[in-house]
Amino acid sequence: MKSFLKYALGLLVILFTTCATAHALAFSRNPEIDPSLAISALTLLAGSLAVLKIRRNK
Amino acid sequence: MKINSNSPPAGNHRLQPSDSFPFPRHLLGRLYLFGALMALEYIFCFANRGLSPGHLKIFGATTDVYGQIPLFAYLVFLGFGHSIWKAQKENILFGRIFFGIHLLCMGAVLSITLATQEGMGWLLFDTSGYIKSSLYLLGTILLALACVPPRGWIRAIRSTGLLWLYSSLAGVAGWYLGTPIRVLWTATSTAQSGLMQTGTLYAVRALLSVFIPNIFIDPASFTIGTSRYLVTIAAGCSGVEGLGLVLLFTSIWLWYYRKEYRFPQALLLIPCALGCIWVLNIVRLCALILIMNAGGSEMAGSGFHATAGWISFIIIALMFSLATQKLSWMRKISPDASCASGEPQSDGTETLPGASTQLSQDRGESPAIRAYLVPFLAILAAAFVSKAASGEFEWLYALRFFAAAIALWYFWPRLKGLDWRFGWLGPVAGVAVFLAWMSPAWFHQQPAASPMGQALAALSPAARWTWIAFRVAAAVITVPIAEELAFRGYLARRFISREFDAVSFSSLTLLSICLSSAVFGLEHMKNLMDWQHLLLGTLAGLAFSAALRWRGRMGDAVAAHAVSNLLLAAWVLGFGDWAQW
Repeated sequence: MKSFLKYALGLLVILFTTCATAHALAFSRNPEIDPSLAISALTLLAGSLAVLKIRRNK
Repeated sequence: MKINSNSPPAGNHRLQPSDSFPFPRHLLGRLYLFGALMALEYIFCFANRGLSPGHLKIFGATTDVYGQIPLFAYLVFLGFGHSIWKAQKENILFGRIFFGIHLLCMGAVLSITLATQEGMGWLLFDTSGYIKSSLYLLGTILLALACVPPRGWIRAIRSTGLLWLYSSLAGVAGWYLGTPIRVLWTATSTAQSGLMQTGTLYAVRALLSVFIPNIFIDPASFTIGTSRYLVTIAAGCSGVEGLGLVLLFTSIWLWYYRKEYRFPQALLLIPCALGCIWVLNIVRLCALILIMNAGGSEMAGSGFHATAGWISFIIIALMFSLATQKLSWMRKISPDASCASGEPQSDGTETLPGASTQLSQDRGESPAIRAYLVPFLAILAAAFVSKAASGEFEWLYALRFFAAAIALWYFWPRLKGLDWRFGWLGPVAGVAVFLAWMSPAWFHQQPAASPMGQALAALSPAARWTWIAFRVAAAVITVPIAEELAFRGYLARRFISREFDAVSFSSLTLLSICLSSAVFGLEHMKNLMDWQHLLLGTLAGLAFSAALRWRGRMGDAVAAHAVSNLLLAAWVLGFGDWAQW
């Protein structure tokens, strides 16, 4: 049961992610979205995550 | 190789060849290379041009057969086959001839697409689109054969059984189910109203009624507001974009670190994150209406509207990341030191001694990353705050200067070990970058229009010169230091090794310089089709990298960057060409 639930939920996530990604291009055509802001935001997020993932056993 | 994590930021160790960032030679790497190139070419050729390479009627609806379905089917194929192909370590030859012909095909496809977009009649012989579609298909097949030879493809497909069929079905399902799911946020032929828009509308009303007694609401047009200002909740404002981003981020995160988490417990965090981003969108809309009602319509419409959504996404993504590290019930291995000793967990499970230490060493970043990245991240974070509180004119620009200055001051004990001296090449490279950066502007008789000049003219002299002083100080002092530390000091060396601080600046490779310069160019784009600043930013990155590599001194790169920014500031102030800022 646990194994089935794991794969079922995993597939559900993949399916919804695929659907959401399939429409990502439509979102990017939204004139209200500022691409430079998007690049800055994703850079800020990626950088912050990298800083948060530093080794603790230094 | 032994690495001392407490070594000075600019180490002098030479890394072994095995530590470098290599061109993928095995099956798995080549499959990823093909997927990445295919996606990039699709985006550059067609996305945001309102054009697609080919269409086909499936189940009564028109779809982009060469774009969406193959891309998403391939994504599923890669995701499920990853662990099987990982074990295959046989070297694969790269088909250079196939790749060359592929480039010619894609060049032709891009030319036809641009000709269609720009209305260049002499190139519009391909009115039906068949030539373009055929060239795109041929180019993609050649790319596939260049990355992986036919025998490799057969091996990849055979080793994964019927995965090719399942992934193909997933690609079609993803496209086909996308249409009914879209009912959630937008009106279609089968649904006259977006369910999410309606839900968001009433949630905003409930929250807004706490602050304002008389609220106007029109469910038919999704309009809500006060007697002074009304806003319409468009499909994009219903929160679906944030939900999509969070769903994508959380799924990729849990997949990438899947060995660290327990499933299905970890999956519970996904709906929690989705709920949080939806609530934050409600708060954003309420704040937008309250700001407009208070008289800040320009700030609400220009700055806060766009930046608040990204700020919400960043907050949720960071909270999700922290939650996955802190919640012991969803982790297989605790990062805490106590786990490394094999002590039982609170839920009775036990970890192997040293397991978390090993995992942490494998996955964790070098502690030196903080000194190199935080000043640049401080500028980005301050920019979001500043833009959210501004209208067309970013009057809080000084925040960026102070944020970077404080971060640099905090990390200076670690950074002062770098060689900050500079020679003649740094300033010369800076002048060259400035000349290249300004070259497009010299072809125009009049400077491009910018609201910055008018906004500055409206300020009092004291306020105007204070703003300009901080703008110049940021451009010449804090931005060059923070960006050179981030792009050359960290990123260029991180492409070579995870222990980036052990890589000498003089040993940067051509690949690491090109990749970090391309990312630097991306950061300077003003929109997705801004090829000019992408190219100029990349060239600037190459020049600064060359200055850095010359004598292996950070001071040369910073001097080059500072000189180019100083000359640009002089140009802007001297000629009133505010669009360059």
